[in-house]
Amino acid sequence: MKPREFWLLFSPSLVVMVGLLVLPLVRTLQWSVESVRYGTPGTFVGLANFTAALGDARFGRAVLFTVVITVVTTAVLLVLGYLVAIGVNRLTTSRPLVLGIMLVSYVLPNLVGAVAYSWLFDDNFGGLVNRFVEFLGGSPVLWFTDQVPNAAVVVSNTVWHMLPFAMLIVLAGLQSVPTELREAATIDGASSLQTHLRVIIPTMRGVLGFVTLISIMDVLRTFDSLIPLSPQAAAIGNESIMMYVYSVAFADGAQNLGLGSAVNVLTIGLILVMLIPFIRGIFKEAKVAR
Amino acid sequence: MTVHTGPGTQVRGLAQVPVVRAVRRRPPVVTGVLLGIVCVVTLAPFVWMALSVTKPTNVAFANPPVLTGYTPTLQAFVNLWQTTYFADYLTNTIVVAVISTVIALLIGIPAAYALSRFPSYVSALLLVLALVFRALPRFSVVLPMYDISRALGIYDTTFALAVALVAINQPFTIWLLRNFFAEIPRELDEAAMIDGCTRIGMLRRVMIPLMRPGILTAGIFVFLFAFQEYLTALVLTDSSSKTVPVFIATQLGQTLPMLQQAGAASLLLTLPVVVIAFVAQKYLVAGLSDGAVKG
Repeated sequence: MKPREFWLLFSPSLVVMVGLLVLPLVRTLQWSVESVRYGTPGTFVGLANFTAALGDARFGRAVLFTVVITVVTTAVLLVLGYLVAIGVNRLTTSRPLVLGIMLVSYVLPNLVGAVAYSWLFDDNFGGLVNRFVEFLGGSPVLWFTDQVPNAAVVVSNTVWHMLPFAMLIVLAGLQSVPTELREAATIDGASSLQTHLRVIIPTMRGVLGFVTLISIMDVLRTFDSLIPLSPQAAAIGNESIMMYVYSVAFADGAQNLGLGSAVNVLTIGLILVMLIPFIRGIFKEAKVAR
Repeated sequence: MTVHTGPGTQVRGLAQVPVVRAVRRRPPVVTGVLLGIVCVVTLAPFVWMALSVTKPTNVAFANPPVLTGYTPTLQAFVNLWQTTYFADYLTNTIVVAVISTVIALLIGIPAAYALSRFPSYVSALLLVLALVFRALPRFSVVLPMYDISRALGIYDTTFALAVALVAINQPFTIWLLRNFFAEIPRELDEAAMIDGCTRIGMLRRVMIPLMRPGILTAGIFVFLFAFQEYLTALVLTDSSSKTVPVFIATQLGQTLPMLQQAGAASLLLTLPVVVIAFVAQKYLVAGLSDGAVKG
């Protein structure tokens, strides 16, 4: 393909992305060093927003909460995703049905899923989970006002929502593991567990890395699901980074755009660092293709 | 050459050595039970919500829950329809999703094709940019969009929201489509062009028909993303182009009948998506397995 043709075909998409992603991003960078409100020109304040963010105890709590749920969710997703994928991989005729059911929690609107999920824990709606806890001999848990149980609800909701994704990616990975490898391991007398730990998981490192990356990126952005799941988020210390940005830069007339933008810039920086291995992979591939 | 197969597999000549089958030899009884539990847990929130929404208000909020002996009612749906602007919100949501899907594909298909056929540092760089854009915290582009759309006077319009969603989902669209295009051998375009097609003509007559499953997959994902988008809609709309997710969020924390209405709205939004999940399962799995997914 000639460069001229390439640019002709690519330009509409490029115009949209530059106009609606790059320009806003530049604005965010600019705002992060300004004291500014919507619709007014800002004044340059240097790194004051960054120091304000980093010195804000509330932001610190939001970072801590977000990091903790990110780590826990990702770990659970990897383990459960792997186990369920092994199960689904064994299915034959019932596979489409199981996949269809499992996809439901993935494709439905995030917020809607979280609302439905929260009702299972909500004593207003009969508190199904609490009744179950009582049935098992425990005492009812304060799922919405107690920090740790609430964090557990948030984590389990994210796992519930993203498990199909993790499972499908792992499933695709499992199918690309050469059968000879497994058979060789079996012949050498490896148990099923050993085969998984020593043979299959190492060969799927790339796939598992991909699941980890997407999971981390998605959980870092947690926002909508917290609205029904954690109505008291700020009060009980379960506010996510994105909720913090929303509340300082947008909600209820709060217009501290500089502070919100500075937090966005910090988050972008974090994400870029995590993307480095993948970016290198793409360039390596490009070198090969040339 | 020796072929090792599991006890449950049959060898009917080398051509039929069941490569995949060998893995699935164990009778999946335990597996079946465990996966059954996973499926029940997956569906439990909807079943519970459907039950809560179809109960009379006083029964829906009883604790411990009342499971039998009440008369199911669709009152929450009737109220939703009569006392709120739900029909408008639903129309907005569908219009936004349809417009943004169409535009995203119209500009995404040529872009993805170009990326798959132009191996160079430029396309690698553009792919990297797409990956980075896909990973951005949404607020970092949406807050400036709010400011810009107010300045341009297009704040709170369906158009502005649809276009914003095209841009936000564009990196995903081109990644996914590019992966699908990459699987089509290049010789095919060359043959078509030798036969006298122009690049655009070939894209239209040869590639697009060949890519139909890929385009369908990308279209379904982009539609679903736009259909469920909450944050962008929250920031870019106010009243006249409000979408259902934003409406549902405002209903929460209100009176009990309003909560039930929010549940009814959630169910109405869920049902088409569930249908899509089942009908288009093959395409969703293809899209997810192809990697680069999730806006």
